Amino acid sequence: MLSRVAESLYWAARNVERAEDLARLVDVTAARAVDRAVDAESRWQAVYEVAGIGGSDDDVADRLGAIERIVFDGESPFSVAGCIRIARRNAIGVRAELTTEIWECINTLYLFAESQSARAVGLDGVSSFLRAIRESAQAFGGICDATLAHEDTWLFLRIGRFLERAATTARVLRGIEAEAGPHVWQLVLEACCASEPYARARQQSFDPAEALAFLVLSASFPRSVRFCVREVDEALHRLSGAPSGTFANAAERTSGRLASSLAFTGATELCEEGTASAAARIGRELDDLGAAITAAYFPRVPVG
Amino acid sequence: MRSILDRYAPAPAFDEFAGDDGRPRAHYEALAATLEGITSSDFRHRVTRINDVLLRRGVTFTVYSDARGTERILPFDLIPRIVPAGDWDLIARGIAQRVLALNAFLNDVYGEARALRDGIVPRELVYSSPHYEREAIDVRPPRGVYVHVSGIDLVRDADGTFLVLEDNVRTPSGISYVLENRDVLKRSFPRLFEGYDPLPVDDYPRRLRDALLASAPAHVADPVIALLTPGIYNSAYFEHTLLARRMGVELVEGSDLFVRDNTVYAKTTRGPQRIDVIYRRVDDDFIDPLYFRADSGLGVPGLFDAYRAGNVTLANAVGTGVADDKAIYMYVPAMIRYYLGEEPVLENVPTYDCSVGAQRSHVLANLEELVVKRTSASGGYGMLIGPMSTAAQRDEFADAIRAKPREFIAQPVVTLSAHPTVVEDGLAPRHVDLRPFALLAGDRVDVPPAALTRVALVEGSLVVNSSQGGGSKDTWVLGERC
Repeated sequence: MLSRVAESLYWAARNVERAEDLARLVDVTAARAVDRAVDAESRWQAVYEVAGIGGSDDDVADRLGAIERIVFDGESPFSVAGCIRIARRNAIGVRAELTTEIWECINTLYLFAESQSARAVGLDGVSSFLRAIRESAQAFGGICDATLAHEDTWLFLRIGRFLERAATTARVLRGIEAEAGPHVWQLVLEACCASEPYARARQQSFDPAEALAFLVLSASFPRSVRFCVREVDEALHRLSGAPSGTFANAAERTSGRLASSLAFTGATELCEEGTASAAARIGRELDDLGAAITAAYFPRVPVG
Repeated sequence: MRSILDRYAPAPAFDEFAGDDGRPRAHYEALAATLEGITSSDFRHRVTRINDVLLRRGVTFTVYSDARGTERILPFDLIPRIVPAGDWDLIARGIAQRVLALNAFLNDVYGEARALRDGIVPRELVYSSPHYEREAIDVRPPRGVYVHVSGIDLVRDADGTFLVLEDNVRTPSGISYVLENRDVLKRSFPRLFEGYDPLPVDDYPRRLRDALLASAPAHVADPVIALLTPGIYNSAYFEHTLLARRMGVELVEGSDLFVRDNTVYAKTTRGPQRIDVIYRRVDDDFIDPLYFRADSGLGVPGLFDAYRAGNVTLANAVGTGVADDKAIYMYVPAMIRYYLGEEPVLENVPTYDCSVGAQRSHVLANLEELVVKRTSASGGYGMLIGPMSTAAQRDEFADAIRAKPREFIAQPVVTLSAHPTVVEDGLAPRHVDLRPFALLAGDRVDVPPAALTRVALVEGSLVVNSSQGGGSKDTWVLGERC
């Protein structure tokens, strides 16, 4: 596969995943902030940080304007609509690699996000707009899985999707203060679509340490950092053909190390490190993994 | 309820649909019967729905004059154009003959130049053509194929006779509309097909692939094809992606390729991949900055060396543009007689060469009745349509012709044939042309029954180009049975 194509697939998938995750986070935060169970100021601040925008005092003062920018501003790479625009721009560049059904999904999503009627909903309609975005983004993942041969094209999409998902979970966790109460944790679990799976897994009363462990270390929950990193690691090994547990390049070494470190970390150990600092460390490790993938597969000079 | 056909009045031109008695021609009778039962409002709904489908599929072209690079769909007209088997047989024979002659001319002009010595084509016209490439002299492409893919534009005069309006032998586009129009019409309006069995168009990509493989460098056992696109901002990018996907070949940009030891490679995630055949949709000027335009970022440094060494096939070959120069066009019937020893099956539109004194005087004296075209332009740009022009426009063209006569030709106005087309309040005749595509594999020409009908949507307009407000129609080539 062309390096340029591989890179565009990777970024297309990352941006679709990012749009989905951001849409869910904004929707959950807006709903939770209404009933004042959590401190709205600090929760929105955390959303700005996940989105990657500064969250200046102006933004806090003009909350409604800030939400609109995070959702609708197609020119910004930090907004839901902006991620979709970038994903489609990448998809256009690899149009020949994608099946027609994948292309129509991303193109329809883009046309919807850009349409005047979708934007005209205003703040009261933001939630339904975000739900439509989330569902289409999930359809994108499903159509990729169901219409592509599970070979290189699919693997690069998968690497992008799971790396972005892991990074989002880590970023969301970074915004949790040490003294955060159960309402904040509930919001974070919902933002990671983990509220119900967590409730099922833990029948006892709520415990922040367990929630943290669930979001980082669960072997079976598909948005935990560990689960996502393992998916990336497996996809990288399938690309090169190197057996799991070995490595053929620096990307696999990084993913393999991170996957085993997460597999052999205990909940207590993680809790002692502190939620925000553990999340920040994991975020840096995921950045390193991204850089190693770029160096291995999307070099700026010809390979070989 | 009024049927959509009720108010159709045939055009003061050859009407494809209605005969002299105003009744549908035999091959349109079944379609007319279906249309009788369809109301205008039903039609309008379908038009809206189909445009939505095309937009969602991304069947768009980019409008260059628009700063935002707006994506637009080429307006698709629901009423199909029907070509009976007998007409198609004539067209396919005429096109095949013409392509063979053009290819022979290119072999000759970059080789022995016999036709120039024998006075068949004026030497000065060839050497002054902006698309004549000196670099290509004595570089024989694999199997002597220059014109792998061509699109020959046909029109019909007032008698319904098919005439060749122009040859497109560089990077003709439009086949994606043929494929998409058929697919969309079949899905959205299957009723229209009742009583018809048009030949399928969807094997065009396979036939293109076969033609490309047939002209791979002889020493390569298992040739790898790539489609070279100028990139996503090119107006035909959608077509490039469609063809690459359907052929199952890599779609590459110039920066995806590099040349080492006169061999072309693609930069892939598994290291360099050798490329043997490049179906390039990039003009000669831009393919290799070392030989042609140095400021081109679209091409591949060293590509021309690899081509000259015989290690890569470029389709179409370098230098083909001299054969579709609008002044050289005049001499294609003579080429057919000279190289093939045959009479042309399809005639040209009579043409005046402004570089010849007597013809220029005639043109200047009759600008009001003539169409003047720039020899190197395409896409409907840079034309003067005499009967619709102002005195100021005619003066401007007269000055330009006197200053650079080689750059102009003139033709009498051909009142193109007209075809029922959806308008605001029903159906009305609009002028159409026809672009069949030809694939040359070795010495065999394949003319797939996949032709593009372009339609001038503006009443009375004779300009069908998409950049000038044209649309397209599904085109049904009927098999012998119908």
